[in-house]
Amino acid sequence: MTATLEVERLGVSFGPSGAPRQVLHDVSFRLEHNEILGIVGETGAGKSVLAHALVGLLPGDGRVTDGVVRFEGRALADMSQRERQRLRGGTISLIGTNAKALLDPVARVGTQIARVLRTHRPCPARQAWRQAVELLGQVGIVDPAARARAYPHELSGGMAQRVVIAMALITRPGIILADDATLGLDATVQVQVLDLLVQRSRMLGVSVILITHDLGIVAHYCDRVAIMRAGRIEELRPVQGFLGRPDTPYSESLLAAARARPVPAEQRHAGKADKLLVVENLLKLFQVGGTQPPVRAVDDVSFSLERGETLALVGESGSGKTTIGQCLLRLLAPTGGSVRFDGQEIAGLSEAHFRPLRRRMQMVFQEPYVALNPRWSVLDLVSEPLALLGHHSRSQRLQRVEELLEMVQLSRDLARCYPHELTAGEQKRIGIARALATEPDFVVFDEPTTALDIRVRAQIIDLIRSLQSRMGLSALFITHDLNSVRSLAHNVVVLNRGRIVERGETEAIFASPQQRYTRTLLAAELPIEWSASRRAGAATVANPVSEHSA
Amino acid sequence: MTFRFWLRRPAATLGAALLLLQVIAIVFAGMLAPYSPTMADPLHSLEPPSWQHPLGTDVSGMDVLSRIIFATRINLLVSITAVAAAFLIGVPVGLLIGFYRTIASTLVMRLFDFIQSFPVFVLGMALVSVLGQEIWNVALVLAILFVPVFARLVRAEVLSLRERPFISAARCSGAGDISVMFRHILPNAMTPALVQLSISIGMAILLTAGLSFIGAGVRMPTPEWGLMVSSGAQQLILGVWWVSLFPGIAIVLAVLCFALLGDQLRIFLDPTKRAPGKAR
Repeated sequence: MTATLEVERLGVSFGPSGAPRQVLHDVSFRLEHNEILGIVGETGAGKSVLAHALVGLLPGDGRVTDGVVRFEGRALADMSQRERQRLRGGTISLIGTNAKALLDPVARVGTQIARVLRTHRPCPARQAWRQAVELLGQVGIVDPAARARAYPHELSGGMAQRVVIAMALITRPGIILADDATLGLDATVQVQVLDLLVQRSRMLGVSVILITHDLGIVAHYCDRVAIMRAGRIEELRPVQGFLGRPDTPYSESLLAAARARPVPAEQRHAGKADKLLVVENLLKLFQVGGTQPPVRAVDDVSFSLERGETLALVGESGSGKTTIGQCLLRLLAPTGGSVRFDGQEIAGLSEAHFRPLRRRMQMVFQEPYVALNPRWSVLDLVSEPLALLGHHSRSQRLQRVEELLEMVQLSRDLARCYPHELTAGEQKRIGIARALATEPDFVVFDEPTTALDIRVRAQIIDLIRSLQSRMGLSALFITHDLNSVRSLAHNVVVLNRGRIVERGETEAIFASPQQRYTRTLLAAELPIEWSASRRAGAATVANPVSEHSA
Repeated sequence: MTFRFWLRRPAATLGAALLLLQVIAIVFAGMLAPYSPTMADPLHSLEPPSWQHPLGTDVSGMDVLSRIIFATRINLLVSITAVAAAFLIGVPVGLLIGFYRTIASTLVMRLFDFIQSFPVFVLGMALVSVLGQEIWNVALVLAILFVPVFARLVRAEVLSLRERPFISAARCSGAGDISVMFRHILPNAMTPALVQLSISIGMAILLTAGLSFIGAGVRMPTPEWGLMVSSGAQQLILGVWWVSLFPGIAIVLAVLCFALLGDQLRIFLDPTKRAPGKAR
């Protein structure tokens, strides 16, 4: 029996024909009917290039150098331009990252879904629209008839991703190719979207390729897994066996990094356990429209932080956790409430009076690349806080930068590099080095572990832990990555829509969450273990959910 | 900067060659021009191109070639001075009104709207007639016209840059307004203004010539391309084509030169469009 998709010794290269850069080497696999295959790899492993080669849409000067891609026994290379067009979206549908960017901003989503159908088979507009609405209902969108008339900007990220799934499903394709389709979505939404995708695919007999860097997704949803590294498939096996005992040392290191769960460094009580930061009744309102009531982004939040303590603020996007961090560092002015830092009230301070305190309060920003001035070298970036203090000579600063680079485990040669020449992990470390330059007492880490590769994430967690124990840092740790909270934070505050839902010691919260919202958050975590019962349950989860539009 | 470098970039090569030609004309005008640019010779008026007068003579018998060569000085210097002044004023103004969103910055923007809402030539004529038909007054008019162009470009960049996370990061490091503005925002906001610099010089050349053509610029017998085109315009109908055509070609080439250089500058200043391996 022929497989739905057969890839044989596929090679892809980029660059001029004189000096090609081989990106895929000898990639072979079969995708059976109704199978879910996970493809896992770190950044640069060639996952996305593979996805694009499968649909015959290599970007730029990329080309297939050898090998065959066969759909139901027919080679992609033998197809005419027209046949390939019919193939894309008809036989194989691609779901990409960042669904909102994939949708046409000026067309109603229903029209966009119907358009896909009508491109592939003749169908009256009215009927296509009806099918689109029906499908929107099936992918769990409440009130699909009204939602089909919405424009993409009116949808939340999770809803947009559902719309893209509906677009992929409407032509009844044989294969769905999901390239990091849930990257950047909240864990709770991610689970809903993936449950739905897998459930619909199983029902319709569609084969799915899930490209991801999250082994939890693989463990939970896939039948087989392919581990990619540097353009090759290292290992291709059923998931259960892989999770039990991986074949290659690389896979083993990936699994170990993803499963690593060190405990936080012990909190050092510097003499007496005094409060470094006390936040009381913090309030931040955002005025959106002229007539609408203001959005209560942070609503009456109180918490405190002892010296040497790491406190995690967790919650989904829109819960106000980043806003709290920005209010503490005066990147936003709080609307009300009190913030005392080391006994001093700082909520009402003017920028000029607050600036001397900046040396003692620092922040590590969420997206490392955009938080670094692209035209500055690493040396300038890391030494900026020192230069602004003004009591270091140039050579002292250089020496301090080298110390800091060493502290975040980077080579001192990097001092001459510019941000775009660094990897995401290196950029993150630069962000940390910069924040630590003035030896602050208090650091806010905003999502330090998201959007990083498995092993890099584990390294960053280790780095922060070692800094905690070496410097006795007091830190506020803002994240939705619950796994890292266990390794870094002593205490947790759970936020939902700007309000504190639950708080307590990390282990206690994880062991016995008291609130329903906390339990939902924890349930969205996908453990990297084989669990037959959870899989059986997955098919029943995807009930219509009511989500508020963004 | 090897031979291959230029061969691969025909547009850059042409632009650079034209610029070189103009620089030579400016520096060596006295040596290159066969006649004085302002000496009338009524006996040889309106002579067609010949060996004595390669590009012919105009109605007063002045040598067209010599006048074109000398006019390069006036046209280019006026345009470059005007645009440079506009750049030096417009960029800081754009930075300030983009960074500080106050009533004053709104008022400055409305002033720019006011300047730019006038047809260029009407405003030019009005200003020159008030200030007097002096060559530096033409430059002043052009500078006034171009300040809003640069200020708007920089302001637009600043508006988006000031919301970027690396600005927050700089603030967290303790950077004040001055440091944020001049060390973080300005270097990132300059690219469009630098590209516009070259393109604006081309436009300024066209405007200088245009103002002179309609009589709002410099006066005879100053050698100036627009004025030369205009002085030959009446005779065009009589078949005297050389008086207007050759200065017209000079204008086209000069404008083309700066437009080409502007395009190249855009590519050069954008690291993502530069050839790999040549980063930084």
